[in-house]
Amino acid sequence: MRGDRRQPDPRLVALAVVVVLAVAAVPFVASTYVVTVALRMVVLSLFALAFNIVFGAADMPSLGHAALFGTGSYVVGLGMVRWDWPFPLVVVAGLTAGALLGIVMGIATLRTQGIYLLLLTLAIGQAVWGLAFQQVRLTGGDNGISRIDRSVLTLGTDGVVGFYWAAVAVVAAAAALLYWFRISIVGTTIEAVGMSPSRLRALGFAVGSARITAFGVSGAFSALAGMLMALGNRFVSPENLAWQLSAEVMLFAILGGASWFAGPVLGVVLVIGTEVVVKDLTDRWPMVLGGLYVLTMLFLPDGVLGALSRRRRDSGGGPDPQPGRDPGPASDVSRGRDSGVATNTGATT
Amino acid sequence: MSFGSLLFLLASGLTLTFGLMRTVNLAHGAFYALGGYIGLEVIDRTDSWGLGLVVAVVVVAVAGVVVERVLLHRLLGRELPQILLTVGVAWIIGDVILAVWGGRPRTLPRPPGLDGVLRLGGLTFPWFRLGLVVLAVVVFVVLERSLATTLVGARIRAAVDDEETALAVGIDVPLLFAVTFAAGAGLAAFAGIWGGAFTGLRPGTEWDILLLALVVVVVGGLGSMRGAFVAALLVGVLDEFGKWLFPSFALFTLYAPVAVLLALRPRGLFGREERVA
Repeated sequence: MRGDRRQPDPRLVALAVVVVLAVAAVPFVASTYVVTVALRMVVLSLFALAFNIVFGAADMPSLGHAALFGTGSYVVGLGMVRWDWPFPLVVVAGLTAGALLGIVMGIATLRTQGIYLLLLTLAIGQAVWGLAFQQVRLTGGDNGISRIDRSVLTLGTDGVVGFYWAAVAVVAAAAALLYWFRISIVGTTIEAVGMSPSRLRALGFAVGSARITAFGVSGAFSALAGMLMALGNRFVSPENLAWQLSAEVMLFAILGGASWFAGPVLGVVLVIGTEVVVKDLTDRWPMVLGGLYVLTMLFLPDGVLGALSRRRRDSGGGPDPQPGRDPGPASDVSRGRDSGVATNTGATT
Repeated sequence: MSFGSLLFLLASGLTLTFGLMRTVNLAHGAFYALGGYIGLEVIDRTDSWGLGLVVAVVVVAVAGVVVERVLLHRLLGRELPQILLTVGVAWIIGDVILAVWGGRPRTLPRPPGLDGVLRLGGLTFPWFRLGLVVLAVVVFVVLERSLATTLVGARIRAAVDDEETALAVGIDVPLLFAVTFAAGAGLAAFAGIWGGAFTGLRPGTEWDILLLALVVVVVGGLGSMRGAFVAALLVGVLDEFGKWLFPSFALFTLYAPVAVLLALRPRGLFGREERVA
């Protein structure tokens, strides 16, 4: 970083402005059905970006992120439908709950890496899921909480389009904040910790607090995405907490390219886009989703962006898509680097 | 006890494959369900429980070999992609099961000769449950002994400890991987035949069973057969007491202690400290 602060990448900012304008224009040119699909993509994009703070930046393969997402959803459901809280209180409570649960996860996983971190976050996520599933009187159990009023959050007009524009605005602002966080000193430290925890520890950095910060920030933004999802669907159920969602957000990040800030968004568009097309044709979507997992791991372990940049480099080499970060031949996350995942393979190497 | 025994049958295959391949096979529950449904189909058609068991175990073991050779082996040594790949395999198998057998919950017949109950004083023990306990002990002893005393077991342990040296002294490690994965998948199918008679089969069974098996394996310590055995009985008892004492917190009382244990002792009860390369 040459001692300077990292500056925003102007091309990424320009791209983001174009994308946000294009996404905001969807209701003018497409049907309500397309708007609901786009809404889902926008909300999951925020979730995937938040997840990637822990995954792509800090190199911690969490399989419990649905718990953070779903916590936001349930705060909306419980606060608005069960307890009649004012909306601002719901927002504050949701963000706080997400951040706190994230911090708990961060502290609990301090001693773990790789597979063990994955399994521990999974166990925490399942404990939260179990609460939502079995506290039937409060959460409605499997039936969830319905009749959430989304008219509290609209922009420009009423109905689904108004909520859509509000969600796009919230997600755009949140994504900008996340980007600012990634290139801040703290974010840079987190990225460095992800690359080489032992080296950073030797240099005197507080590795543990960097990891906890990553989880806390990721938790708050994941919960924000979960809140938008509950409002958008006017419904929350244990599915918002299911670990399959945690696996799917990891698929988003890897398929797009976890080493890039915007990679997870690309993954969301690809997976959800495929889902919409496939579900229209057949009811064998789980099989196709399974195939996507398999094909991504076999052929695109660094994601679409990773494959593109390697191609570009092979044919004369364009500039890196994100300065300040060498994407390398393969995503660090998928290879396991330094003492991270590699520690756990110790016995076999 | 009997639930704990079933848990051990579930977890034994998973811990076997992890022990050798450092892969958490998240398709384990799908292999279990596939074994259960294949067994059910064969038993329905031939009326022979034994044939159902054999066909299910063999077919699923072969499926395991195919998954290992065609897919997993290309990602050797890369844990996270392997894990997510098995998630994909689980989705595919689960959907195939749904397409072939539909969404109706089914229950396998109990093995012949294990109907009825044993009366001892005022207590009654169903034969089926006693059979499960005996079976779990037998499977545990066979696995533990064969890993400890047979040549294949020695080779597996050698490959676990130091894959490169094992290769260098002429042990066919890729073959061992395929065999172990087949054994793990076969054990899952075997557990599926018994578990299908115990708790039944329905869509989603593949995930429920996977999570239970994972709990047992991580509590016992990844890769430790003895740990899996102790943890299975422990989790079985914990689960029973949890359901009895706090019925509306049963899932929470299952997962929360696991999370606490893992946070404090990431290697589980019997997991060994791994060498840092």
